[in-house]
Amino acid sequence: MVAPVTFPKTERAEICARDTTLETLLTTPEGRRILTCIQCGTCAGTCPYGEHMDYPPRRLINLLRRGRIEEAFRSDSLLRCVACYACMAKCPRGIRLSDVLLPLVKEQTLARRPEIPAELQRALQNTLRYGNPMGESSRKRANWVTSAGTPVPILAERQKPVDVLWFVECYTSYYPRGIDGSRATARLFHALGIDFAILGNEEKCAGDCGQLTWESGLFETLTDYNLEIFRKYKFNRIVTGDPHAHNAFHVRYPMYGFHYPVLHTHQLLAEHLDALKPKLVRPLRRMVTYHDSCCLGRRAGCFDEPRRLLQAIPGVKLVEMVHHRINSICCGGGGGGMWLDTWFKSKGMERLSERRVREAMATGADVLAVSCPYEIFRFEDALKTLGYDHKMVVRDVSELLAEALGD
Amino acid sequence: MQPTPHDPVRIGCYVCHCGTNIAGLVDVADVARFAGSLPGVVLARHYKYMCSDPGQELIVRDILEHRLNRVVVAACTPLLHEPTFRKALTRAGLNPFFLQVVNLREHDAWVHSDAAAATQKARELVHAAVLRVVHHRPLEIRQVPVHRDVLVVGGGIAGIHAALTLANGGLKVYLVEKEATLGGHMARFDKTFPTLDCAACVLTPKMAAVGAHPNITLWTWSEVVKVEGTVGNYRVTVRRKPRYVIEDRCTGCQECVDACVYREPRFPDEFNLGLGRRKPIYLPFPQAVPPVVLIDPATCIELKTGRCKKTCVEACGDRRAIDFHMQEELREITVGAIIMATGFRIFDARRTPYYGYGVFPNVYNALEVERLINAAGPTGGELILRDGRKPRSVAIVHCVGSRDEHTNPWCSRVCCLYSLKLAHLIHERTGAEVYNFYIDIRTPGKGMEEFYQRIQEEGLHLIRGKVADVYPDPNDGPNGRLIVQAEDTLMNEVVKIPVDLVVLAVGLEPHPDAENLRRLFNLSCSAEGWFLERHPKLAPVNTFTDGIFLAGCCQGPKDIPDSVAQAGAAAAEAYALISRGHIELEPNTAHIFDDCSGCKSCLPLCPYSAITYDEDRRKAVINEALCKGCGTCVAACPSGSIAQHLFEDEAIFSELEGLLSAR
Repeated sequence: MVAPVTFPKTERAEICARDTTLETLLTTPEGRRILTCIQCGTCAGTCPYGEHMDYPPRRLINLLRRGRIEEAFRSDSLLRCVACYACMAKCPRGIRLSDVLLPLVKEQTLARRPEIPAELQRALQNTLRYGNPMGESSRKRANWVTSAGTPVPILAERQKPVDVLWFVECYTSYYPRGIDGSRATARLFHALGIDFAILGNEEKCAGDCGQLTWESGLFETLTDYNLEIFRKYKFNRIVTGDPHAHNAFHVRYPMYGFHYPVLHTHQLLAEHLDALKPKLVRPLRRMVTYHDSCCLGRRAGCFDEPRRLLQAIPGVKLVEMVHHRINSICCGGGGGGMWLDTWFKSKGMERLSERRVREAMATGADVLAVSCPYEIFRFEDALKTLGYDHKMVVRDVSELLAEALGD
Repeated sequence: MQPTPHDPVRIGCYVCHCGTNIAGLVDVADVARFAGSLPGVVLARHYKYMCSDPGQELIVRDILEHRLNRVVVAACTPLLHEPTFRKALTRAGLNPFFLQVVNLREHDAWVHSDAAAATQKARELVHAAVLRVVHHRPLEIRQVPVHRDVLVVGGGIAGIHAALTLANGGLKVYLVEKEATLGGHMARFDKTFPTLDCAACVLTPKMAAVGAHPNITLWTWSEVVKVEGTVGNYRVTVRRKPRYVIEDRCTGCQECVDACVYREPRFPDEFNLGLGRRKPIYLPFPQAVPPVVLIDPATCIELKTGRCKKTCVEACGDRRAIDFHMQEELREITVGAIIMATGFRIFDARRTPYYGYGVFPNVYNALEVERLINAAGPTGGELILRDGRKPRSVAIVHCVGSRDEHTNPWCSRVCCLYSLKLAHLIHERTGAEVYNFYIDIRTPGKGMEEFYQRIQEEGLHLIRGKVADVYPDPNDGPNGRLIVQAEDTLMNEVVKIPVDLVVLAVGLEPHPDAENLRRLFNLSCSAEGWFLERHPKLAPVNTFTDGIFLAGCCQGPKDIPDSVAQAGAAAAEAYALISRGHIELEPNTAHIFDDCSGCKSCLPLCPYSAITYDEDRRKAVINEALCKGCGTCVAACPSGSIAQHLFEDEAIFSELEGLLSAR
C-alpha cells in the first residue's frame, strides 16, 4: 500500500508579508527558495498554457535572479496564467510560484499594459462598484433566499451567535445555475441540523481575483470591507461553497489579520458524513466523474472529501479522468481567466474547459461533478460548444447530494 | 613521580586557539589569565594548536619542569583529542587520568556569536575543570579480549565483498541475508556502467565463492532479531525462517519444481519484480546461492490445506529434502565486529502520481526494465510492451523521486548513469528512438564522463527538462501511445513527445527495515534515514557504535565500484579491530564502598549481570570486567555506597561549583 500523496500544508499567514514587492522578494524566505531553482522546467511543462508563454515561471525566476525582471513585463505571458497551482504543486524545490512570484509579476504586467482586456476590466470595475463581478445590485444579493425552499437565516436579523457563517459568494447568489447549488446547500444544512446563517446583502465578493491584483486597491477594499463585517458578528467558522473564496480566506486574508477557521462546504459535509449517509435514500444511478478544482484540490489538499461524499450516494459509480487529484487540469477560470475567454481566443489558445470536458467524456460518465461555481458555467458552456450537452450534465457535489436526499 | 593524595595540587592549564576556530570568538588570552588566578593553578598558557607536536611537547616540558600533577586542556571535543593529551601526560610520567578536557570549540565558539559572553562561558567551563581535576585519581585502562568472528548483515554486492575479504584473511564470518539468495539488487541488473560488462558475469563468481568458502557461514532467508553486548563481544540472535526444504539435503536439481502439481508457473515471481511467474516451490533465479529451492507457504497447496498429492516429495525421492513441518529456528552467535550492508530500496514511483506508474501499463520503473532486457529475465531479454509489441519510441524520465522536496530531496547519484546505460541497451536491442529527459546530467567518477560522451555519439535524444506529465495520447485508441510532456529548457519550448514506453529512473531511498535495524543495532540515522557514519570524511565506514561498520547503500546512494570500495574499507576496519585482539576500555567502572548494607537493590538493575552478592561478607560485589560503566547502580544505591570512577560525587559537585561560581 502506498501512502497517498500529500503536499506540505502551507502555514497560514506565513505565505509572505503583504508588502512584499519584486524588489524585496529575494530577501524573504520565499525569495531564498526562489534562489534554489534548478531550472528544471517542470513549471512550464505542467502549465496548461505553458506552450503559449514566452516567459514561463522558469524564465521569470532567471530574470529575477539576474535583476532583469522588467523584461518580462513587456510580454503578456502572465496574463495567460490561470492561477491553477500546477507549477507550484509540482515544483521540486517547493517554490510557491502561484502564491507569490506569479501574482507580483502579473500585477506589473497589467499595470504596464496600454489597455486591459475589456471583459476583465468590466469584471474588476463591477466588483469594486457593486461587490460582484457581474455588476448586479448589491441590494439583491440575498434575493435568492426567498426561493430556497428552506429557511436561510441572515445574521443581521438573527442577533445571536451562530456556529457556521456560510459565505455564499457571487455566482451562487445571482445566477440561476449558481442559486441551484445554494438551494442544495441550504437543504443539506437543514437536513443535518447545522446551525448556520449568511451575511445576506452585507456580503461582498471575497476577491480571490486578488490573485490578479495582489495588494492593489480592489483587493484591499474588499478585504477591509469583509473583515469589518466579520467583526460585527459572533460565529465559530466560515464555510463557503466557492473554492476561490476559500482560497482568499485561506491564503490571502491571514496577511490582513484574519484568523477564522475556514472550510469548504464539502469538507463540512464530509465531517457529517455518518449523519448524512442514512438520509441519502434516493438512488441516482449515474456514472459520475469528479473534477478537482485547483483551489480546493491542489492548493488546499482537499481531494478525498468530495469523492467520499459522491460514493456515499446510492447508485453512483465514480470514475476518474486521466488527469485527477494533484494532476487535475484547470477549467481555465482562475486568476481572471473567467473573464479572459475572448482574449484567450484572440491569441489562438484552446479553451481549457473544452479540453477538460473531452477528458470527462472519455471516461464514459454522464455526470461531471464539481465543487466550484465557476466550473458549472464553464463546463456547461464547453459541453454545448462541443455538442456533448445531451450526453453529460454538470452538477455541484452538493446538488447531487440534495437530489439523493429524497423529500 | 606519581603524586599521592597528599601532594599539593599543581595544575597546568592550556587554552587552545584552534587557529581561529576558538580564538576567533573567545578571548583566549583573557581565559588563560583567568585560569592562572584560580587556586592550585601553577601556570596557564594559550597556544595556537595544542594538539600539534609543539603543543604536546609544551605540556610534557611543563609537567617535568614545573612538577605539574594535574592538567586542564581547553580545546576541542574530547572525542577528538583526549587520547592525544592523555598520551602526552603518560610521556611525562603522569597517570593519564590526571587530565580534564574542556570543549571550547563545539560547546562554545562554534555555537555562539557574542564574543564577550562566549569568553565568559569559557572562563566558567575552565573554572569547572580546574575544580574538578583536583579530585582526579590515577586509574588504569582496562583491556578486554575481542571475539574473532564477524557478522555481515546483508548479502548484496557490499556484504558479499566484505564477507569474502574477511574470510580470505582467515576470519570466520557469518553472512545473514533476508532473501532466499545472495545477490541483492546487483543480481537483477543486466549490464553495468561505464564498462557495460554483464552484472551476473562479475557477480555470480563472487556469490559462488561465498557459498563455497570454508570460513563463511551463510544464512539466507534469515534475519537478525536481537543484538546484545558491546564491541568485541556482541551476542546476536538470528531467526532462520523455514524454507520447508532442508538446505544440506537439497542438491538444487529442481526436479521437485518440475514435478509440482501446478504444471505452469502462475504466481508473481519476486526476483523478476512480478514480471514473470513461478511455482509455489522454486529457485529464486538460476544462479541463486545457495542453490536450494524454497516453498512459499502462501501458495503451496500442502502448506495451505494439507491435501496435496505432494508430487514434489515423490520427485525428491531418497534425498528427502522437503520438510513441510519445518519451523523457524533461532540461532545465537557471538561476534567481535559487525558490518551492516543492508542496502536500499528503489523509490516507489506511485508516489509521483503524474508519471502514471501503476496506472498506465507501459510505464515501467528502471529495475523492471533491467529484468526485461536481461537474457535471463521473464521475456528472455526482449523489451516488449504489455501487449507483446516492440516499442518504437521510448522515454527515460530522470530524477523520479530524487531532487524533489515532495519526495526525496537528495540526488540518488546513479540514475543519470544507469539511464544513459539503459538508453544504449534499449536502442541496441530494439532500435527504438530513445528520449532522455533530464535536469542535469551528473557523471562523476572514473570513466563516467567518457561513457556519457560515448552514449551521446550513438545519437539518442537528450532533452533538458524534468517531465511534468505523462498521459495517454488522446488521439490514439486504447493501448495507444503515451505523451511525455516537459519543457525543453534549452530550446524554450514545451514538448509533447508520443512514445510507446516510459522508463522511470527511480531514485534510491533507505531500506524500509532501516529504522528497525537502527534500533536493533543502536545506530544513528541521518534525517533521510540512511545509517550515519561517524565522520563524513575521516571515519566514513565507522558508526557511533564501536565495532559496527557500514558498507554500501545503507549509508547513502552509491554505484557498484563505490559500494565495493566501501565494503573493503569496512572489512579492513573490522579486521584491524579483530587482529589487535583486545580493546581498551575507559576505567569508568563502578565500585562499592565498605559501608554497603547488602540490601541487594542494585543486583537486578545491572543490565550486564556484573553485580553478585557475597553471602559471607553480606555485601554486593562488582565484577569490573563485566561492568560497562552505565551508572545505573550508582544512582540506585539507597545508601550511596556505590561510586563510579571518573564520575565521583566530589568531582561532579566541584565541577558544578566552578560552573556556577560567577553567578
